[in-house]
Amino acid sequence: MKPASVEYHKATSIADAVDVLSSTEDEDAKVLAGGQSLVPMLSMRLARPSVLVDINGLTDLDYIRRDGDWLSIGALTRSRAVEKSAAVRDAAPLLSEAMGFVGHATIRNRGTIGGSVAHADPAAEAPAVLCALDAELVITGPAGARTVGANDFFHGFLTTAVGPDEMLTEIRVPVLPAGTGCAVEELARRHGDFAMVAVFAAVTVGDDGRCTDARLALAGTNPTPVRAREAEAVLVGSGLTAETIAQAAQAAAGVTNSANDIHAPAEYRRDMASVLTRRALRRAASDANVVV
Amino acid sequence: MAEQRTASGPIGARIRRTEDPRLLAGQARYLDDIRLPGMLEGAVLRSPYPHARILRIDVSRARELPGVFDVITGAEVRELAAPQPVIWQQIPDQRMPESYALPTDRVRYVGEAVVAVAAVDRYVAEDALELIDIEYEPLPVAATLDEALAEDAPRLYDQWPDNKMGQHTFTRGNVDEAFTQADVVLRETLYYGRQMGLPLETRGCIASWDTYTNQLDLWLSTQGAHVNRDLMGEALRKPVHEIRVRVPDVGGGFGNKLDFYIEEVLASLMSRRTGRPVKIIEDRVESFVANAHSREQRMEVELAATSDGVITGIRGTVWAVLGGRLSGAACGPPWLSAAVMAGPYKVPNVDVSVVGVFTNRSPIGSYRGWGQPEATLVYERLVELLARKLGLDRNEVRRKNFPAPEEFPFPSTVFTYDSGRYAECLDLCLSGVEKNGWKERQAAARAEGRSVGIGYGFHVECTAFGPSRVLNAVGVQHSGFGQSVVRIDSTGRVTVYTGEVPMGQGIQTALAQVCAQSLGVPIEDVTVIAGDTDSCPYMGYGTGGSRAAALGGGAIIRAAEKLKKQIRDIGAHLLETAPEDLVIENGRVAVSGAPARSVSMAEIGNAAYRSVGKLPAGQTPTLEEREVMDPEDLAWAYGCTAVLVEVDRETGAVKVLDHLIAHDCGTVINPMIVEGQIHGGVAQSIGGALLEELVYGEDGQIQTTTFMDYLVPTATDMPPMQALHMETPAVHIPGGIKGVGEAGTIAVPAAIANAVDDALDDLDVTVTAIPITPPRLLAKIRAAQEQQS
Amino acid sequence: MASKVTVTVTVNGRTLSAECEPRRTLADFLRQTLGFTGVHLGCEHGVCGACTIVFNGATARSCCMLAVQADGAEITTVHGLADGETLHPMQEAFWDNHGLQCGFCTPGMLLRACELVEEFPDPTEEQIREGISGNICRCTGYQFIVDAIRDGAQRMRQTS
Ligand SMILES: Cc1cc2nc3c(=O)[nH]c(=O)nc-3n(C[C@H](O)[C@H](O)[C@H](O)COP(=O)(O)OP(=O)(O)OC[C@H]3O[C@@H](n4cnc5c(N)ncnc54)[C@H](O)[C@@H]3O)c2cc1C
Ligand code: FES
Ligand code: FES
Repeated sequence: MKPASVEYHKATSIADAVDVLSSTEDEDAKVLAGGQSLVPMLSMRLARPSVLVDINGLTDLDYIRRDGDWLSIGALTRSRAVEKSAAVRDAAPLLSEAMGFVGHATIRNRGTIGGSVAHADPAAEAPAVLCALDAELVITGPAGARTVGANDFFHGFLTTAVGPDEMLTEIRVPVLPAGTGCAVEELARRHGDFAMVAVFAAVTVGDDGRCTDARLALAGTNPTPVRAREAEAVLVGSGLTAETIAQAAQAAAGVTNSANDIHAPAEYRRDMASVLTRRALRRAASDANVVV
Repeated sequence: MAEQRTASGPIGARIRRTEDPRLLAGQARYLDDIRLPGMLEGAVLRSPYPHARILRIDVSRARELPGVFDVITGAEVRELAAPQPVIWQQIPDQRMPESYALPTDRVRYVGEAVVAVAAVDRYVAEDALELIDIEYEPLPVAATLDEALAEDAPRLYDQWPDNKMGQHTFTRGNVDEAFTQADVVLRETLYYGRQMGLPLETRGCIASWDTYTNQLDLWLSTQGAHVNRDLMGEALRKPVHEIRVRVPDVGGGFGNKLDFYIEEVLASLMSRRTGRPVKIIEDRVESFVANAHSREQRMEVELAATSDGVITGIRGTVWAVLGGRLSGAACGPPWLSAAVMAGPYKVPNVDVSVVGVFTNRSPIGSYRGWGQPEATLVYERLVELLARKLGLDRNEVRRKNFPAPEEFPFPSTVFTYDSGRYAECLDLCLSGVEKNGWKERQAAARAEGRSVGIGYGFHVECTAFGPSRVLNAVGVQHSGFGQSVVRIDSTGRVTVYTGEVPMGQGIQTALAQVCAQSLGVPIEDVTVIAGDTDSCPYMGYGTGGSRAAALGGGAIIRAAEKLKKQIRDIGAHLLETAPEDLVIENGRVAVSGAPARSVSMAEIGNAAYRSVGKLPAGQTPTLEEREVMDPEDLAWAYGCTAVLVEVDRETGAVKVLDHLIAHDCGTVINPMIVEGQIHGGVAQSIGGALLEELVYGEDGQIQTTTFMDYLVPTATDMPPMQALHMETPAVHIPGGIKGVGEAGTIAVPAAIANAVDDALDDLDVTVTAIPITPPRLLAKIRAAQEQQS
Repeated sequence: MASKVTVTVTVNGRTLSAECEPRRTLADFLRQTLGFTGVHLGCEHGVCGACTIVFNGATARSCCMLAVQADGAEITTVHGLADGETLHPMQEAFWDNHGLQCGFCTPGMLLRACELVEEFPDPTEEQIREGISGNICRCTGYQFIVDAIRDGAQRMRQTS
């Protein structure tokens, strides 16, 4: 378990990083962020880039900022910083809660939110929670920056909208409206493991007690994180009752599409999508001060 | 705590370990920390196929890579080495496929070593592996037990008509009659998944072969120094005086480091060929295929009983899912499963067979528990199922079938249990459960709609393994005795040289305690040296089978007795008194009742080595005794485990909320170490019961080769644990010491299975497979719910 | 083959410099090139925590970093905990509570425990268990480690 030979480039700026990414012939340069996924893959020789572009020196990618109705997070911000940030808790408590499920403290010390998103593990928390939050992802390449919605960002198992000569630079999260309740429900074999199934729920409740907005995203159930749109539709416009929640949970199971693997058969994941959706919605509702 | 006696001397004292400061400071020296001048690092190319013919091996490109010193193939191994030795031959007429450190023509499991490389460092060695071309012809695969047993199964060995490795049956009484006359008969098929010990430090070796003197220096991360020297001698056809094995600090063993493997042979051969020391470290991913697997068994069993719960017979078959070749332990663990299937109970009629079956999986070898957790799953499940069926209290059924203390030595099916107070141990456990309020916790949880259950598992544990004649009688091609040397030097300090091997279990401290107590010296004055075939005395087998304290300690007690006689003689001469009037305490030899008249151990040592004129006439200089400990029979420890678990009926997830064990390991040398051993064993078996499984796909590919897929418990998976000690002395071991290395491990899976059933008692669920994964349990729950509605 | 690079790091207060290939992991660099063998390798894929070091003030897996990335960094390994022959209070607590058996997980466990206590000076059992959940111990079953960390935290409160 030792990495194959590789060149190393310590990026001095975003432009410099993009420059190196776009100049390798085989388009096999790789961004090295926290290294918590990439270095093990190098050691197992499952990843064999010719050059690593280390972005850890780019402190201008390490920030959490609130600009009005948006929260902006630099791609190099460590998962631990996102988890502990008061600004994040204030603007998007769902994100804070979700980050607490990412691995263990030492992993989060080093792993970055950008790396988590760019890596696009279907069982990872960050991609799914950003889908739930309708986040926007800023990708920078030779032609400059472009923005892709989180729900269009994940193309498949470990593949995203980021091209080989591009990198993810920023994550923009719309601030959740007042009256929103949040909850994450995750089923993992052990604390800190990738999710077998995780559900990220945010429900906004109007003055009349009706649900005005609902976001439900699932991790672990599909090749990419998915929104359970039908389930959301069940909730919006109605009260958060045991019945509507049960109906939504049923609908959530419908979006799952996973293969059997060593931890669970597909049908188990489907069933759990429903169980966890129900639990998440109940907690989210109570977080929004609705008694179910 | 039960029977907490106040230790008057070092034995029984809760003292912190002498091993620890250097481990804490990062100053330990594990195998991979050793670097010899000119040392090369090896890597092993492993088969990607579960079953294939090797058509061609081309290593030329690898040889040419700068930095590569040697590339060795099966054909070359065959010229230089003998087949790998197999010491466990307990099944009469067992089939013994001849296998060398590397194969020449065929591979039989994913991960089987095919070529090895030695290079300047591991990075280059791994580069070289990528340059080796091997042409395989894939063969049909027998990936599972059923596939291997099928009529038209692909055969792993062409010379035999089927994939069976061997079969042996243990019988007692008249089992057919017992079943015909039984009031009730229970029948279950239980499956125990494939698991492994996985010490955090992987296996490793360094071989340094001096081709001028023919001396082979080996550093092994192993549990057996001498046995590995002997087996290495066999494998290399080399006289053993030319081999020295040293064992540095070992980062956990758990049986996995007991067996003899191939990498040490390859390192030795490559060292011989290059004239350089060669190190091979198994990396973590390799460890999942190259390190001994264990446990996997299907157990089809029947129990006969009377309507008031007296067990009258057990019959059944243990199907052992062996791998593609035999490890040194061969079919040993499943054999022990079958042999102890009656557990702690009086079962007059027994007919239990073990059948070993080759499959295209990694070989089966040693892992803490060694067949006993599997057997316990059977007998402890059956006992509770019997109680359930008869509507009796499960622990009353247990009690009814225990031998009484006065029935010991108690002859079970194969082995004779030396001593025991089983019913008392059960009571102690039950009183612990009551004291800790589990029943109330269960009731409260149930009132909230939560599914909480209590489960028990009573186990017997084979310890002090083992008496050489017992080993030989059951077909082990090796001895099992222990040996220790106790030496007092010219300054009066004591050094113990033991054949036992430390691997983190704390035997340096435990043996120092035994020695300090036996000699009457302060523990600080005792040093324990272990893990070197040149300086430590020969010992049979390796440090496994919960033996180090009993056999190592027993030998020390006897050696110390003899040494004390000499000390008294010298002391009497120096103090001008009679030896009988002397007491040895705290490092001083004093006239009984007149402590002022005394000499120190330093003065005794000085007389024995330097001022020899002070010795009594006829006394030979030096102070040293050697004692072989080859007891007449084994020592049988036992215990009763209780667990409190919670089941999530919607997800099938199980959480262990609390744990308790009442146990008896004979004399407790150091309660803290004993508890540590128990805790670690419990963790491994909670992992085994709920998390750990080596999974193979239908294609025979292993799917669990990282710590992300093979799940070992972390701190959040573990409940608080409590151990209540009882001390019934071992009969055949001086000092009454039994072993405790496996006490925590053996009964937990059975207890958890029983607790899960209890938590779901309204559904009448019966757990039959270990590990109890959420999808497996949920399927059972759903099926039971459907049946009910 | 990529050309070698020079890496300068400050380990336990001492600045050291050595050459290596860019592909060399920081763990191998610390262990083999610089001799800090108290950094252990239990998995080389980020899961076990045996290779844990303190990197610029926070715990990190040294198997998940390349040595080149550490150029200019401040690192503490387990060797940096004791003050000469005087053990750190957390080390003492591990000793007294039998918080180790084979010792292989111990360096990582100790460094993580100290970081945990910085965050929670008086940690609850749950905080301890969750806090060390990224460090695998195959020997102890964790109970005595948990006890040790609670005890160590108290000793650290008293000494500070
Ligand atoms: C023991 C363990 C447990 C874990 N558990 C979890 C878990 O429960 N949930 C979870 O979500 N994750 C988990 N992880 C993964 C962890 O969160 C990783 O940190 C994360 O997936 C990758 O982030 P990183 O910064 O380390 O990225 P790296 O490992 O550096 O990179 C990962 C990939 O993303 C690419 N990349 C990184 N940054 C960028 C960028 N800015 N632009 C373009 N490409 C980029 C890299 O090229 C690489 O392909 C675990 C990891 C470990 C070791
Ligand atoms: S060796 Fe780095 S985490 Fe296991
Ligand atoms: S003490 Fe051995 S792994 Fe923790």
